[in-house]
Amino acid sequence: MADTIATNADHHEEHPTGWVRWVYSTNHKDIGTLYLIFAVFAGLVGGFFSFLMRWELAEPGVQVLTALTGDNADAAYHLFNVLVTAHGLIMVFFMVMPAMIGGFGNWFVPIMIGAPDMAFPRMNNVSFWLLPPAFMLLFLSMFVEGPAGFNGVGGGWTMYAPLSTKGAPGPAVDLAILSLHVAGASSILGAVNFITTIFNMRAPGMTLHKMPLFAWAVLITAFLLLLSLPVLAGAITMLLTDRNFGTAFFDPAGGGDPILFQHLFWFFGHPEVYILILPGFGIVSHIISTFSRKPIFGYLGMVYAMVAIGFIGFIVWAHHMYTVGLDVDVKAYFVAATMVIAVPTGVKIFSWIATMWGGSIRFTTPMLFSIGFIALFTIGGVTGVVLSNAGADQAMHDTYYVVAHFHYVLSLGAVFAIFAGFYYWIGKMSGRQYPELWGKIHFWVMFIGVNLIFFPQHFLGLQGMPRRYVDYPDQYEYYNYISSVGALITLLSVVIFMFVVWRTLRAGEKCPDNPWGEGATTLEWTLSSPPPFHQFNDLPRIK
Amino acid sequence: MKKALSAAATFFTGLFCLTAATLADDGVGKPVDGGITFQGSVTETMDRITDFHDGILMPIITVITIFVLGLIGYVMFRFREKANPTPSKTTHNIFIEVVWTVVPIVILVIIGIPSFRLLYFQDVVPEADMVIQATGNQWYWTYEYIGEDGLMYDSTMVPSAYWDKGNESDLAEAKAGIQRMIGNNKDFEMQRLLETDTRVVVPVDTTVKLIVTASDVLHAWTIPSFGIKIDAVPGRANETWFKAREVGTYYGQCSELCGPYHAFMPIAVEVVSKADYQQWLARAKTIYASNSQPANSRLAVAQ
Amino acid sequence: MAGAVNHDYHLLEPSRWPFVGSVSAFIMALGAVFWMHDTPFMNFVFFAGFAGVLYTFYGWWSDVVMEAERGDHTPTVQIGLRYGMILFIASEVMFFVAWFWAYFDAALAPKAQEMGEWMMNGPAGAGYGVWPPEGIETFDPWHIPFVNTLILLLSGTTVTWAHHALLEGDRDGLKKGLWLTVILGATFSGFQVFEYAVAPFGFAGSIYSASFYMATGFHGFHVFVGTLFLLVCLIRAYKGHFTTEQHFGFEAAAWYWHFVDVVWLFLFVSIYWWGQ
Ligand code: HEA
Ligand code: HEA
Ligand code: CUA
Ligand SMILES: [Cu+2]
Repeated sequence: MADTIATNADHHEEHPTGWVRWVYSTNHKDIGTLYLIFAVFAGLVGGFFSFLMRWELAEPGVQVLTALTGDNADAAYHLFNVLVTAHGLIMVFFMVMPAMIGGFGNWFVPIMIGAPDMAFPRMNNVSFWLLPPAFMLLFLSMFVEGPAGFNGVGGGWTMYAPLSTKGAPGPAVDLAILSLHVAGASSILGAVNFITTIFNMRAPGMTLHKMPLFAWAVLITAFLLLLSLPVLAGAITMLLTDRNFGTAFFDPAGGGDPILFQHLFWFFGHPEVYILILPGFGIVSHIISTFSRKPIFGYLGMVYAMVAIGFIGFIVWAHHMYTVGLDVDVKAYFVAATMVIAVPTGVKIFSWIATMWGGSIRFTTPMLFSIGFIALFTIGGVTGVVLSNAGADQAMHDTYYVVAHFHYVLSLGAVFAIFAGFYYWIGKMSGRQYPELWGKIHFWVMFIGVNLIFFPQHFLGLQGMPRRYVDYPDQYEYYNYISSVGALITLLSVVIFMFVVWRTLRAGEKCPDNPWGEGATTLEWTLSSPPPFHQFNDLPRIK
Repeated sequence: MKKALSAAATFFTGLFCLTAATLADDGVGKPVDGGITFQGSVTETMDRITDFHDGILMPIITVITIFVLGLIGYVMFRFREKANPTPSKTTHNIFIEVVWTVVPIVILVIIGIPSFRLLYFQDVVPEADMVIQATGNQWYWTYEYIGEDGLMYDSTMVPSAYWDKGNESDLAEAKAGIQRMIGNNKDFEMQRLLETDTRVVVPVDTTVKLIVTASDVLHAWTIPSFGIKIDAVPGRANETWFKAREVGTYYGQCSELCGPYHAFMPIAVEVVSKADYQQWLARAKTIYASNSQPANSRLAVAQ
Repeated sequence: MAGAVNHDYHLLEPSRWPFVGSVSAFIMALGAVFWMHDTPFMNFVFFAGFAGVLYTFYGWWSDVVMEAERGDHTPTVQIGLRYGMILFIASEVMFFVAWFWAYFDAALAPKAQEMGEWMMNGPAGAGYGVWPPEGIETFDPWHIPFVNTLILLLSGTTVTWAHHALLEGDRDGLKKGLWLTVILGATFSGFQVFEYAVAPFGFAGSIYSASFYMATGFHGFHVFVGTLFLLVCLIRAYKGHFTTEQHFGFEAAAWYWHFVDVVWLFLFVSIYWWGQ
């Protein structure tokens, strides 16, 4: 992969080559590529864990994981929780965020705003290089003791105290905590970099109100990161000191309060879910516009809808905590605030459709993924509105309904957006175009697979099946089985995707500067494919 | 391609409608095979949740989803490259933008009003006839009948291994134990992963206030058919309530991740007639008076 | 496309610091975890990683200083640096929000100290104690904490003095102002350490001491870092760095110092005074 991308050397200047180019990089495109490779790798690991989970859940009883634990059922129960935890954390912190922000953000935000690179190129590289250590810390945690007698962190990606303090005295949890510290530092530095780049390095004439939507999306995402991650850092530092130094933040015996952790976590956690989706909104906007051969409908509305989502995202966190025993008036407030988010999100959905309206639509692979995104994200969004009603959530909280909700917005929302972005830009990034037929096959297999996994989970949830369960009453078998079959189909789609990557990089056709025609209007399409090592030595002027 | 996509769209909206249409599953107290809606209700709270979900939320989100998918399908068909070779250049239409901002607001208000009513109904605990405290422990529940001379006992899952071939006698014994515990010989089918050695016994048509707490980590106490779910938090006493109107057995499962055996600390409530309850209470007090816990009630969950 | 660079941005040569720093951070984290669990020799691993991190900071910022002196920091780049510093401080503010949150969560709705207590009192509405918790003897805000407040406020003025001196080309005033600020900062830290040493309550076991020590402790750490930052500026002042037009390194240190100052005011008012 490295070699294919390395063909862009600009012969008039000395450019770093070999491992120095990648390891010591200060080039936003190279760093973006590193991020993308990392994200694919993490996606495969996180996906692998989820397939193991689905395999185990295909039938009632515990039969698959015991094979991994030498027939020790107790260890298998815990292993399941470890897989759930690792799957959630890896997908969120090491797949979606690196792909969208680190990968596509790094590659295209500077280009779209007409800048030669990021504001702090060296810091950009440390943002990337902090991720592999963070990932390794998390991975290592699976092999050291967590709860007495068991290996790994089984507390869920939310790591609620006291299960993560008193409930798991071994070093595994500390490894996971420090992993998040490191990954968080990476993201905060990245956020500083993106905001500075966008505020300070727009080409002449590129006003904020002319800026492409993807750049806007990353800008808002960066603000969410900047303001929410430090709170998570504080929360997990409290976990750390409660665990190792005897503080009593979450320990009622010392006057502390386990619920405090949940407040702090979700003050970060809810903005985090918009961090995961906003860049996807940006990507999809460009693709819809490109392949409808029409400018975005209601550009300003799109921008301010994202601003609104980002802002409201900070004041709705306790909708994850409806059953912890909050005061009823507090709940009522969070119900109202949460539901409001449906309005700006609706503006986005309808503006995308309006962009397609009157267009001249071509159904390329990225377009299919984008349309799939809109459709499936809507389903995930409306179930979110169901959950936002504290009264009804009492029946659904911590059931598979929630799992179905967030996979529709994540695995079928964010991930679809990532694939859409991948197909849209791979020709630009590598200089080689993907095979269209295989791209479409990938889309359809994946579309069927993921729907089959997650749609039936709504039924399981309504029927009351709790999440994070290694084994379930036999009545839930039917839809669990279907869900697992869906996972198998999705596995196939991931294999197809890997094949597409391989085919593209080995034998893809040469990609012209602008393979998509007049609909593609952002600056990256004015550059060669792949772009020169340093673009815009002469800054472009935007009229 | 496009056809297939809209076919898929129809398929899923179809599924949605199906959900809305099959409202009457008769799984009361436990899930049913292949069930796709809420478990049946025996409290007013769950009635209201069900009405709210099936009557308001579900239809609204179904309509919205069908509407959006329909629009997408239409646009994909009508404005495909072949059908519409020259794209329009429209980028604004204030009227339509106002409409799609205002209409969702209206819809949310329509959802919001009954939502708040439901919320306040659930959360305001009415005058209670009796009080039970449920304490979550890794990995069993402890129940204390407040004001009943320290009547208190543990409730642990009947090991899943009893359902394995060859363990029929264990299973029968466990069942007999449960029958003894609740004091009637009614026959029932043992539910794997839902069955506990002792049950919470409460009278029918009685407002029971439940105080829920935990001794170690978080747990959550829930009975889907009652429409209640409340976290068990160390150092906190959460309150909720229920008033079951039908005699029967109602199951729930711990609903907050609490460690390796999180899936194995179910909840079983036995609702009996008021007369039976009085009898049970008198007997239970002699058996389970504080600290005279039968040793076997802390059956190891591990199998 | 190729050819002369016609913009004012700062493109950098490859640098080894990010990678070296990350590897060091990994070693440090690994060492920290296992040291906390008393695995033998892990303290050495931790310190090795820590040394690597310090080395990275030193090397990295030396490069930055070198680039600044070389003239890479055009006015445009300086604006970028300003944004960067402001944003970094914003994230620091949010970090302190977490600690204040913990503090107010406990102080506004104090829970009983003993788990058993609310169970005995009966659950409804029980479980709420007093703040500060019984048995905690708090500091008199008008002794050391107040002195420290004055010290920090004063140091805020001395750093401004240094800044104005720099702007007017008065190198001597710059050095004096910085010297004073650094000394005041160190004095603050000294008092803080003394306060911890004589504190009537320990670190572990109660929410009061947890929120008190972690909030003031993180602040103290920031004072320490800020003092170092100013010290570096002082050394650079002696080396003849900074001009009246270009001295962002100094300004960043001053901003940081003011931020630390403001955090202290909040700590003083809410923890020492209001929470007395
Ligand atoms: C990408 C991630 C993402 C996104 C975008 C969302 C979006 C939303 N989420 Fe979701 N959510 C998660 C990820 C996400 N969520 C995760 C990971 C969890 C679980 C965490 C855990 O516990 O592990 C979760 C859990 C979760 C809960 C807690 C459930 C529980 O644990 O009991 C709630 C409750 O309010 C909720 C609500 C919402 C709402 C209202 C939205 C809204 O933003 C959705 C808005 C979108 C639409 C509504 C669709 C489009 C709009 C229209 C077509 C207009 C017309 C519509 C109407 C008028 C209704 N989410
Ligand atoms: C982005 C987030 C994300 C994604 C993509 C997924 C994807 C999947 N998830 Fe997961 N999931 C979570 C986030 C995610 N999940 C979270 C947060 C939880 C909660 C954890 C907890 O409870 O603590 C969870 C929990 C969870 C559960 C519940 C477990 C339980 O409660 O017991 C299940 C069960 O079926 C499940 C299954 C799956 C499956 C089968 C997939 C499949 O869709 C996977 C298929 C694989 C892919 C789609 C990845 C392919 C991507 C790439 C290869 C990268 C491509 C990159 C580029 C092109 C740059 N997940
Ligand atoms: Cu107890 Cu889960
Ligand atoms: Cu949320």
